[in-house]
Amino acid sequence: MGVSMLNLGAALPEIFMAVSALALLMLGVFAGKDKAFRTVSWLAVAAQIITVILVVTGEGGPAFFGQFTADAFAQFCKVMILIGSSVGIIMSMKFAERENMARFEFPILITLATVGMMAMVSASDMMSLYLGLELQSLALYVVAAIRRDTIRSTESGLKYFILGSIASGMLLYGMSMVYGFTGTTNFAVLADTLTGGDLPVGAMVGLAFMFAGLCFKISAVPFHMWTPDVYEGAPTPVTAFFAVAPKIAGLALFVRVAIGPFGSVVADWQQIIVLISILSMLVGSFAALRQENIKRLMAYSSIGHVGFALVGLAAGTEEGVTGVLVYLGIYLVMNLGTFAVILCMRRNDRMNEEITDLAGLAKTKPLMAAITAILMFSMAGIPPLAGFFGKFYVFKAAVDAGLVTLAVIGLVTSVVSAYYYLRIIKVMYFDEPVEGFDRNGTEMNVIMAVATIAILAFVFFPNPLMDSAAIAAASLFGQ
Amino acid sequence: MSLTLIVLLPFIGAVLPAIMIRAGRNACATATGSITLLALILLMAKAPAVISGEVFQVSYSWLPELGLNVTFFLDGLGLLFATLILGIGLLIIIYARFYLSKDDPMGRFYAFLLLFQGAMVGIVLSDNILLLLVFWELTSLSSFLLIGYWKHLPEGRQGARMALAVTGAGGLAMIAGMLILGDIVGSYDLTVILQNADLIQASPMYVPALVLILLGCFTKSAQFPFHFWLPHAMAAPTPVSAYLHSATMVKAGIFLMARMWPVLSGTPEWFYIVATAGLVTMVLGAWIAIFKHDLKGLLAYSTVSHLGLITMLLGFGTPIAAVAGVFHIINHATFKAALFMTAGIIDHETGTRDIRRLGGLLNLMPIAGTIGIISAASMAGIIPLNGFLSKEMMLEEAWHTMWLDQGWVVPLLATVGAIFSVAYSFRFIFHVWMGKPRDENLPHHPHDPPFGMWGPPALLTVLVVLIGLFPAVIAGPLVAATSSAVIGGELPEYHLALWHGLTPALGMSVIAIVVGALLLMRHGALISATANLSRPDAKAMFDCAIAKLVALSRVISDNLHNGSLQRYLSVMIVASVAIGVSGFYAEPDHTAGTRELLDVSPAAAIGWVLLVVTSIAAVVMHHNRLLSLLLVGVIGLIVSLGFIYLSAPDLALTQISVEVVTVILMLLALNILPKETPKESLPGRKLRDGVVSIAAGLGIGGAIWAIMTRDLPNSISAYHLANSKIEGGGTNVVNVILVDFRGFDTFGEIIVLGIAALSIFALIETVTQGEAAKRLANWVVSNRRSADRHPMMMVVATRVMLPLSLMVGVYIFLRGHNEPGGGFIAGLVVSVALVMQYMASGFGWTQNRMKVNYHGMIGLGVIAAAITGASAWVAGLPFLTSGFVHVHLPIVGEFELASAMGFDLGVFLTVVGAVMLALAKLSQVERMAEHIDVNLDPMDHDPSVRIATPEKEA
Repeated sequence: MGVSMLNLGAALPEIFMAVSALALLMLGVFAGKDKAFRTVSWLAVAAQIITVILVVTGEGGPAFFGQFTADAFAQFCKVMILIGSSVGIIMSMKFAERENMARFEFPILITLATVGMMAMVSASDMMSLYLGLELQSLALYVVAAIRRDTIRSTESGLKYFILGSIASGMLLYGMSMVYGFTGTTNFAVLADTLTGGDLPVGAMVGLAFMFAGLCFKISAVPFHMWTPDVYEGAPTPVTAFFAVAPKIAGLALFVRVAIGPFGSVVADWQQIIVLISILSMLVGSFAALRQENIKRLMAYSSIGHVGFALVGLAAGTEEGVTGVLVYLGIYLVMNLGTFAVILCMRRNDRMNEEITDLAGLAKTKPLMAAITAILMFSMAGIPPLAGFFGKFYVFKAAVDAGLVTLAVIGLVTSVVSAYYYLRIIKVMYFDEPVEGFDRNGTEMNVIMAVATIAILAFVFFPNPLMDSAAIAAASLFGQ
Repeated sequence: MSLTLIVLLPFIGAVLPAIMIRAGRNACATATGSITLLALILLMAKAPAVISGEVFQVSYSWLPELGLNVTFFLDGLGLLFATLILGIGLLIIIYARFYLSKDDPMGRFYAFLLLFQGAMVGIVLSDNILLLLVFWELTSLSSFLLIGYWKHLPEGRQGARMALAVTGAGGLAMIAGMLILGDIVGSYDLTVILQNADLIQASPMYVPALVLILLGCFTKSAQFPFHFWLPHAMAAPTPVSAYLHSATMVKAGIFLMARMWPVLSGTPEWFYIVATAGLVTMVLGAWIAIFKHDLKGLLAYSTVSHLGLITMLLGFGTPIAAVAGVFHIINHATFKAALFMTAGIIDHETGTRDIRRLGGLLNLMPIAGTIGIISAASMAGIIPLNGFLSKEMMLEEAWHTMWLDQGWVVPLLATVGAIFSVAYSFRFIFHVWMGKPRDENLPHHPHDPPFGMWGPPALLTVLVVLIGLFPAVIAGPLVAATSSAVIGGELPEYHLALWHGLTPALGMSVIAIVVGALLLMRHGALISATANLSRPDAKAMFDCAIAKLVALSRVISDNLHNGSLQRYLSVMIVASVAIGVSGFYAEPDHTAGTRELLDVSPAAAIGWVLLVVTSIAAVVMHHNRLLSLLLVGVIGLIVSLGFIYLSAPDLALTQISVEVVTVILMLLALNILPKETPKESLPGRKLRDGVVSIAAGLGIGGAIWAIMTRDLPNSISAYHLANSKIEGGGTNVVNVILVDFRGFDTFGEIIVLGIAALSIFALIETVTQGEAAKRLANWVVSNRRSADRHPMMMVVATRVMLPLSLMVGVYIFLRGHNEPGGGFIAGLVVSVALVMQYMASGFGWTQNRMKVNYHGMIGLGVIAAAITGASAWVAGLPFLTSGFVHVHLPIVGEFELASAMGFDLGVFLTVVGAVMLALAKLSQVERMAEHIDVNLDPMDHDPSVRIATPEKEA
């Protein structure tokens, strides 16, 4: 398959999703606006499921004259993204109806953001990278502020937008520097140009700025500032979505940019990633200790997780990338499960967001408490739950790449973070129960159960995830 | 196969008790017990072969990518520990059946116990260190459940959480150590690792790996300085304490040290870390135990002390010391489990564990008393019990050990430890069993418990005595098999016997017993003498450390994430400046650009100075919004001059027209905003912001400098310059790029522009209804308006200007393809001309005279562009391929008519439509806010009207 071809077939999933989003928009506009919320939502989920099938069965290969590539890496990430956003939509439906935010645009925006993410992970040129990234970001800015009538949501959307624009500016600036000093925006050509040699200083600075912009998208320290406010302020299902799909897409893109065009100059960027990773792990674990709001806690937890995933990238090896992908896969499941729990923290039809609201859950809802406990232990990375393997994989890659200090710092911070995950378990199991929560929605129960089963099943059947992650990573390294 | 089964049985069996509890407590206990028994039988079937030196191995693939496989192996060390775990486990299960009260959920208890048992067996049989880690953390988890089993006791929770935090943290540290170890050897299989002692000890990563692994061991086995969690975990039910904290879990650390002994020991680092920690723990634990009034507290600290003893022996690093350590593991497990069970019996029968309230129990419960006294005597190291044997061996080893070249340190401290040990053991014997009852009002009247409760400890006590009397027969083979597994080579010469003659060790033993007994006689005085000594409370320190961490967390999150956008922005900008700077310095070579610099002309210098001055002025005067808007306008003007100077007339034209339109639109918006910024920052903040922005500005400036002084490789400019005329039919390269080369982009852009205008329309439409409309209706106009809002001068001037401006617009449009200009600029110029009419005569008047549908105009523009693009299809060419013809008109002369012009027309229409639509809506808000009626006259003071009026009167 030549690079100089349009080859629309490779981008069929994206095209299908984009067209579906527009069709749904029409449907929503002409079929009763917000009354069609539920229909549009389910159709959006259906579109995403069909897209998963298209992704998995797709022929792949480069498209759009080398701007786009649908390799195994992209496939793997797209499936994760699609799972994240379709579950995100499912989780939001009842919440949206209860909380007066059932706007039909919501599932459509999520779908558009997902198209952007899919384009991001398939990008093989800075142009397409930026297109995908902005499509995603613009949709997300709106989604964060979807509850226009609450100040918290609006404020978080605005903050996200302003800071996000600056980050996009940095990214663009960095890309223009790289372009200026290497003369190309294409990843493959860049990789050929940079083979073996040192990065020119201008391109190095440009790369640093690109990384800064990307760090914002994945909320890595020190570009994470928006995360706690936005996670807390955005409606909970939106937070759930934010915590998974865009984060996975951003990290995948990060990996693709770092390994694809700049894979031969790992030594030049390794220190940046190591530093970002350490800072993220430190802030993510230490700042989370005092949080009382569970959504804010999840914000810090996600910052920490990004730090852990970056440990794998810092290794710069195929093993490291496999580690990142495995980590993300497990992270996706754990987060969806945890947010399903958070969305069930509803008492007398009002959402509760404090950790202390979970007190005595073991008595009022023992099964849900057990599920939460499993999720928390897994988040903390305590063996033999799935979370341990994700951490272990990236740390092992780091040690193999000679980054022992990084791995040790990572473990120290995971000890700290284990403490606040355990705190939730302690609150659930040992504190006196407060009034019980309302009945869980069926969809939440299903999500929680599936997530928990997946975490437990991973211990016995790790191969599907491990093998496909390995294949995906290999495709990035040109095998 | 049966090896795997031994590990799996407890896990599989863990569901049984939960089910069997419905059939009653006996059925539940029987089911649990038979699972353990089955596993024990399977193990014993292999025991003879193992003792004769055989090693069983079994392996399954799990995660080969990670080097993680399910491999088990059974050698002497594994056999010893598995036997202890399963054997004592069985006894505990029987004991617990009678110990737990009817209200305790027994099914859950046994389920947790079996989970724990499985995890422990997994640790000792794992051949893969990663698998070992998995089981290691599983024990932490299941012990958390077991310790927290009695939920109604607050200490239980505290203890459980602290135990989990400490051991879990140690376990995570150990993961790092194991990773390093695996990295050095290249395999995670223990059998491989154990072959590579030289490789490991020669590696530079040996010390980090050692320290990290030892962290795991020390936390698990409660070695100094992590000894504090164990006594607090004692709030758990006694069967749990007996099982976890005497025989099994706390021995996991010891097990691992023994397991790793062949590869890690023998170095000075190992000796000084391990032996010292063990020695300190032994003395410290024993000392604290003397003062504990709680029976289980006393036993807990004595466990800490004995674990220290074993650790110290392993730390000595000599084979004979290792043998002694192994032997003491067996002995300690037997007498300490028996003692814990006895303590449970006392608690169960009397209702208290406070030694100060007990006494003379031997008469009341003779069986339990006998068991307790014999076991305690063994703990004290009294001849002829098993505790004496291993203690002798320990003292013998201590006698020979130099510490920092000092021969006296270890023997002295070992003797001191032994003295304390005798003291607390005797205290257990004399204060509990002998003498008179000290408290007549015990909660229960004590008597001997049922057989189920005293049988298990009795069995252990029998072992205590038998091993003491016939060590070589009873324990010899096991000790030999285990020791050879630990040492990993030839066994040293040793002799398990009661009598070795008059050795220094015997002397030390005698001293210990005599001084220990004396200490106990002066116990009361000792307690009052030490009462005032400040004892560091490790638990308080732990809590304090946690509190400090949380405080640190508060500092981080409150200062970093206080919700202030300004702070977030400054952090981001500082970070990117730092990244830029570090990237700059990472590169050693900073050659200047190769391009020649332009000379500075006076005009350029003046422009530059003006730009700087206005920029600074805009910052200084930013609180006056009108003023700063004007200054921004000036900056824009100078920038467009700069474009002209740098030979970019197109950009200059665009810049200046965009500048005009935006200033006008912003003026409109400013009208309904406060005239001054509401709040000024404090000087400190201003300074910070100033420094940050100057740094960022310098960074950007430097980067631009670096780019502009270099020739760019592979620039596409040359291509455009060469092909603009030939392929696009125009000499204005910028315009040809816009409408031809990148025509598709422009097409997209005008669509976006149209959508943006429509969005502004839609957004403001919502503002003029609902809540916002009410606010606007109640708007209080902040300052007085000019009485002459539509001055005659301006009205007249704009009317005159209108046709001129429109003409200029058409001119610019037409020449666009070859000279600076084009549809975009023309659109802006025309918009400005129209906007001026609105400004001069007000919206209403103008609107009545200019009935243009701006929505339609936008649509028309997009359609015009689309049709132009699509017309290429007619010629069989791709979308937007442009064609051009040369036309000769009489007066005008020859000119070129490119299809791109149609496209440019689309651009033009869209721009005009978009600007006007936005303006119309903004002015509507304006009118609502200021409560102005639509004016119907072109100007406020019309001179012609005023003159006309007197004439009529006349």
